[in-house]
Amino acid sequence: MLEIKDLHAGFEGTEIVKGVSLSIKAGEIHAIMGPNGSGKSTLAKVLAGHPSYTATQGSITYNGKNLYDLSTEQRALEGIFLGFQYPVEIPGVNNAEFLRMAYNAKRVHLGLEEVDPLDFDEILDGKMKLVEMDPKYKDRFLNDGFSGGEKKKNEILQMAVLEPQLAVLDETDSGLDIDALRIVANGVNKLFDKDKALLVITHYQRLLEYIQPHFVHVLSHGKIVETGGKELAHDLEKRGYDQYVTAN
Amino acid sequence: MPGSVAEITAEAAVLESHKKFLRSTSPFPRLLALNTAGIRQFEQLGFPHRKHEMFTFLSTRELAATLFEYRTGNDDVSRDCVAGQVYKGCENSCIVLVDGQYRPELSDTSGLPSAFGILSIEDAVAADSGIENYLKESIGGENDAFAAINSAFFSQCPVIRIAADARCAVPLQVLHLSTGSAADPVMTAPRLLFHAAPGAEIKLIVKYAGLRDNYFVNSVQDFILERDACVTFTQVQEDAGNARHFSKNRIVLRRDSRFMAANASSGSRLTRHHYDVHLNESGAELRLNGLSVLRGEEQVHNYIKVVHAAPQCTSNQVFKNIVNDKSRSSVDGTVVVEKDSQLTVSDQLINNLVLSDDARADSKPNLMIHADDVKCTHGNTVGQVDEEQLFYLKTRGLPQEAAQTLLTKSFAASLLQTIEFASVRNDLANTLLKKLEANHA
Repeated sequence: MLEIKDLHAGFEGTEIVKGVSLSIKAGEIHAIMGPNGSGKSTLAKVLAGHPSYTATQGSITYNGKNLYDLSTEQRALEGIFLGFQYPVEIPGVNNAEFLRMAYNAKRVHLGLEEVDPLDFDEILDGKMKLVEMDPKYKDRFLNDGFSGGEKKKNEILQMAVLEPQLAVLDETDSGLDIDALRIVANGVNKLFDKDKALLVITHYQRLLEYIQPHFVHVLSHGKIVETGGKELAHDLEKRGYDQYVTAN
Repeated sequence: MPGSVAEITAEAAVLESHKKFLRSTSPFPRLLALNTAGIRQFEQLGFPHRKHEMFTFLSTRELAATLFEYRTGNDDVSRDCVAGQVYKGCENSCIVLVDGQYRPELSDTSGLPSAFGILSIEDAVAADSGIENYLKESIGGENDAFAAINSAFFSQCPVIRIAADARCAVPLQVLHLSTGSAADPVMTAPRLLFHAAPGAEIKLIVKYAGLRDNYFVNSVQDFILERDACVTFTQVQEDAGNARHFSKNRIVLRRDSRFMAANASSGSRLTRHHYDVHLNESGAELRLNGLSVLRGEEQVHNYIKVVHAAPQCTSNQVFKNIVNDKSRSSVDGTVVVEKDSQLTVSDQLINNLVLSDDARADSKPNLMIHADDVKCTHGNTVGQVDEEQLFYLKTRGLPQEAAQTLLTKSFAASLLQTIEFASVRNDLANTLLKKLEANHA
């Protein structure tokens, strides 16, 4: 589904990702772990097409298409979802209306008819139950004044509404207490199936107790320095990242 | 201060027009005295020249060069013209002024309780010498040349009085309708005075609209809030595109009174709002929000002065302007905290969204603090649509255009949200926010 080959990418001229190759197939859950500054978030931003992050070398193909040929919104419509580490607050934009716009953009892309507010409301209620979100958040402004936990739940709610094929979750666990973490992880698990893929980016192993990866990659200084199964995450928790940091 | 030829000519034209006005009308003596004080004050102030500090961001040159015929009233207005301008919920609580003249037959006040009185200025000053003294003082001390012109020419001044401790469930709408002209440009001078007695509460919507183009509406409204009075105020400016609109609102706040205001402008050829607020006794509170959504060559300028003349008063101002094409906005806002006004809390924030290279948004926040135990802030931003917000929306599949429109709308919507009346909010969503959709279409 996703094929990254020798990716070099950076932010405003500084190279941060320095030769990453990664292959993700349908039905797989991959985790990328690594210390701060290792390039985890840069990789996520490049996949979503953030204008300030540019790839300088290497290739990314998604379902056989050159990812660079697709704009940010086209990538979203084609099924790529980025769960933000820091979801953006947008006062003045009604949460439910925004979700309906996004849902309908996807429907139009798939050649389906748009749904009206009443029908969408029913769909949304079901999705909100999935992430145990209070219905009052429908009428709030998008992420505006949400607690850290509610923001992350709102990310997963968006994921539930959009049903992406490939979800990239950037430090979705950061800032969550244990209950919120469980709710968010349960939501993600319920949305996953054999036709979908997940790329979970995290600093800590904690999230991987709930979302069990098939592959764990360690990213350090912009390179994948080790790949293993889920036991690698446990291993890392004990050893820490020091060995990778000092090795360079 | 001497102006150039244009200002001197304009000044002479105003004086000449005033002589004609006095010949054609016969105001009762007390009103004549006020009109005379008005024209004297205008002579003192002169027609504002190019570098006048009150007109830093707008040019009055074009006004100086245009000869306006003064007009009072126009009989050629039917109820149907009015109906479309009345907000839902105000059908039985609407006062209509056509070209500055109160028109009872077009108004409907059947929904207002008896505690609400609409008095002619004759009756009002006869009943309460305080009103006359207030007008004498404010007209004699007028600092705005255009408000002085209004003082010189106003021939009516409906006085709206709300009795002590009176409350009204329905909002009161005041509709200022300008009929404009098919030929020569006309000037009108609407004037109103609101007096809220101690403990009175009123929700007030003032709307300016035009039936035709080619007019200069030069309005003054006074608000006197006695102890514990509360006025929730929304002013909507939706004049004809080629109109000039100058309005001054003078607000005097007594002990523990509150004036909660929102000012929404859809712009015109030249629009200027002047808010002159005096927090004269302790515990008084002002909220003043302003929103302009402009395109084409529309202009809206705000000149704000808030004077904290007593301790423990609060003022909070938020202005948002969206300018596109070649439009212009400005906010020139000063907060003065006088020497003994300790424990003042004052915030002022101006946010501008500039959507095109040729559009311009000026801000001049200004704080003058003469007390030492106060909490005052001011801030000012100018920018385009936030890139991170745009990216966020696009990662959810919204196309560039739709995302950009959503964000410009949200910039305005967060301020519209503070308007208490749903029918006004909905109406503005249909006018102001629609303008933003067309911008990106």
